[in-house]
Amino acid sequence: MLGRRNMWFGAAAAAFLSFATVAPTVAQADTVLTIGRREGSSTFDPIKTAQNIDFWVFSNVYDVLVRVDKTGTKLEPGLAESWDVSGDGSVYTFHLRDAKFSDGAPITADDVIFTLTRIRDDEGSLWSDSYKVIKDMTASDAKTVVITLDGPSAPFLSSLAMPGTSILSKAGFEEMGAEAYAEKPIASGAFVVEDWLRGDRVILKKNPEFWQADRVKLDGVEWISVPDDNTRILQVQSGELDAAIFVPFSRIADLQTDPDLTVHLDKSTREDHLLINHSHPPLDNKLVRQALDYAIDKKAIVDAVTFGIGKEAYSYIPDGALYHYADNLNRPHDVAKAKALLAEAGVTDLTLDYVLSAGNQVEEQTAILIQQQLAEVGITATLRKMDASQTWDLLVAGEYDLSMLYWTNDVLDPDQKTTFVLGHDSNMNYMTRYENPTVKQLVADARVEMDPAKREQMYVDLQKMAKDDVNWIDLYYSPYCNVSRKTIEGFDQNPLGRFFLEDTVKN
Amino acid sequence: MKAARSTLARGGWRLSFGGGSLPLYLGMGILGIWFLVALLAPVIAPYDPILQDATARISPPSLEHLFGTDNFGRDILSRVIWGARVDLQICVFGVIFPFLIGTFVGGLAGFFGGWMDNLFMRLIDIVLAFPFLVLMLAIIAILGPGLGSFYLAMALVGWVSYARLIRAQFLVLKNADFVQAAVSLGYGPIRVMVRHLLPNAILGSVVFSMSDAVLVLLNGAAISYLGLGVQPPTAEWGIMIAEGQSFISTAWWITAVPGFAIVSLAMGFSLLADGLGELLGVKE
Repeated sequence: MLGRRNMWFGAAAAAFLSFATVAPTVAQADTVLTIGRREGSSTFDPIKTAQNIDFWVFSNVYDVLVRVDKTGTKLEPGLAESWDVSGDGSVYTFHLRDAKFSDGAPITADDVIFTLTRIRDDEGSLWSDSYKVIKDMTASDAKTVVITLDGPSAPFLSSLAMPGTSILSKAGFEEMGAEAYAEKPIASGAFVVEDWLRGDRVILKKNPEFWQADRVKLDGVEWISVPDDNTRILQVQSGELDAAIFVPFSRIADLQTDPDLTVHLDKSTREDHLLINHSHPPLDNKLVRQALDYAIDKKAIVDAVTFGIGKEAYSYIPDGALYHYADNLNRPHDVAKAKALLAEAGVTDLTLDYVLSAGNQVEEQTAILIQQQLAEVGITATLRKMDASQTWDLLVAGEYDLSMLYWTNDVLDPDQKTTFVLGHDSNMNYMTRYENPTVKQLVADARVEMDPAKREQMYVDLQKMAKDDVNWIDLYYSPYCNVSRKTIEGFDQNPLGRFFLEDTVKN
Repeated sequence: MKAARSTLARGGWRLSFGGGSLPLYLGMGILGIWFLVALLAPVIAPYDPILQDATARISPPSLEHLFGTDNFGRDILSRVIWGARVDLQICVFGVIFPFLIGTFVGGLAGFFGGWMDNLFMRLIDIVLAFPFLVLMLAIIAILGPGLGSFYLAMALVGWVSYARLIRAQFLVLKNADFVQAAVSLGYGPIRVMVRHLLPNAILGSVVFSMSDAVLVLLNGAAISYLGLGVQPPTAEWGIMIAEGQSFISTAWWITAVPGFAIVSLAMGFSLLADGLGELLGVKE
């Protein structure tokens, strides 16, 4: 998921009141898993969202052609039982398994073609760029789809595992219309949406028609919004909730000592970074950006903000993700070196405008630390706290010098993030206005390189070049922090964020 | 509302203190202490309020740090002391501008009446039609966060209460004999308003401004809590509470100490308002 800033502001305002709001307990069968989270879902239409709050719920409602496994490193068959690739890598043939939608209708090649056409061509699709490579799709029979691409594309297969390509029922969609489907979809996955009380909870029940229905142990799942972190954790401690996600770093240590709870620190692809606006001099000077990198003490941020739970980041491809380069340069905290680089660049009295979202504790804490660290090398950072929706607009408009964002990968292949961050696509390299034609060309070349060894080398080179240019400042990698009652087993998230609720057991 | 007893029917500005009550002295005492603390902040604060100390993060109250430290290792006591400067400033400026604007507008409306009264009263109705905090947030969202925006928003929203108070007083007093006498002696409207009406009408506003200071303080803290007022790393009580919120169950002192500071300052203003009201014979 893109590191979109969510509506922290609302959460902060709600925190005023939420100490008193304890969710009413619904009479429920014993095997309904209740999960508390910070905010509610926004839609069940897979192509109209880029947010974890939606993806993490509907990846257990929809199935995809190809899945990412639990380790987050391999692809495995989903609704497609198997697939063949033509010699030149431009024609894929998918063989679908015998599976049914929750309304009992079989999942056919037509549904797959409908789904992929929609994410590529629909005006409201947030993901169409990534699927423009699809030239043609035909159903050679009800269970076989032949997809022809414009040319070879290394990331194509893993892009079919992205939750945006969740398989929809063509007949159901056309009958219900897009809006009704986005409220109460026909499921192709483990659970079906029984009810969705906006802003409060999403109630899922087991989908008996799911092709792996015998794998699912739970009768149902409830995703409940509890905006205040303290309240949410108290509810798990009291047994009112079975699990809570988005546990703040500051609470991990004391929750680990609670004998009734299991703290999950699941490996993620999350990377937090400091955006630099390259279009504002002197930040267009590589030496100045390197000086910033030397001036910022990532270790101190890991210790103070993540309470030692995160790890210092040194590459835009996170630790554990495909083609991560473990030997990439990690500039140490070196005040003298930073000052020397600034002097070499002829920069004195630098004042930078640091934009951050109000109410986001992690962002605020990091900003206060970085402000002091920059002061040590003679740079003044002026903090400008704004409402989350405003900060996003400022970043898009380029009215900032520094700002903090994060990114978690949606797909296994590094191409998506690389294109967004270095490949000069339409978002101006994730709002940084970073420009390097050599890097841009290499990003395009790596996308069509089909030899894995050569391709890996290209990504290693990209990581080195990005580090040398300081496209942004890598701050830290951190795990997903969740907590569950001891009675819950198998409450796991893979590095891309998917929960494997089909394997979760409530004793 | 009853007119102030001691100064009625007299021109000029005369105010005497004498025969105050316990709330008055208590309120003055609390405020006095906070003003002293704010004034002497550089002398009495044991540490630099924004200095981070990586070796002393989240340490509980001890001899070294009387009220403990926050998650950056900053001394809470020093931050509360320095925060007093900001929060008192918020109270003063947050009250003064609405007070002046409201008195001016209310005075004109009450004295002249007619179309001017209609115009200003409808304007007040419009401002009152919006919930107070929502309007403040909207104005700050347009102006950008910061204390300057906060004061401006306070001035734009808060004046209505003062305007209504003064207008009501003027409407009553302008028919009083001493005013009629002044008018018939040929004094101009400005002289009548400033010398004869205002000194008699303003006491209610003065008392109200003390209790208003409590609301302003709480608003200032709330706005900073929401991230739209004072900007970090400045020490301010509302920000301190916001920053400590995620530690409320593990490190109570980060939020409790500034919370207590806000409560005590608010209580000081409240008591002073009660005491003043009693002393001057003004009922709100």
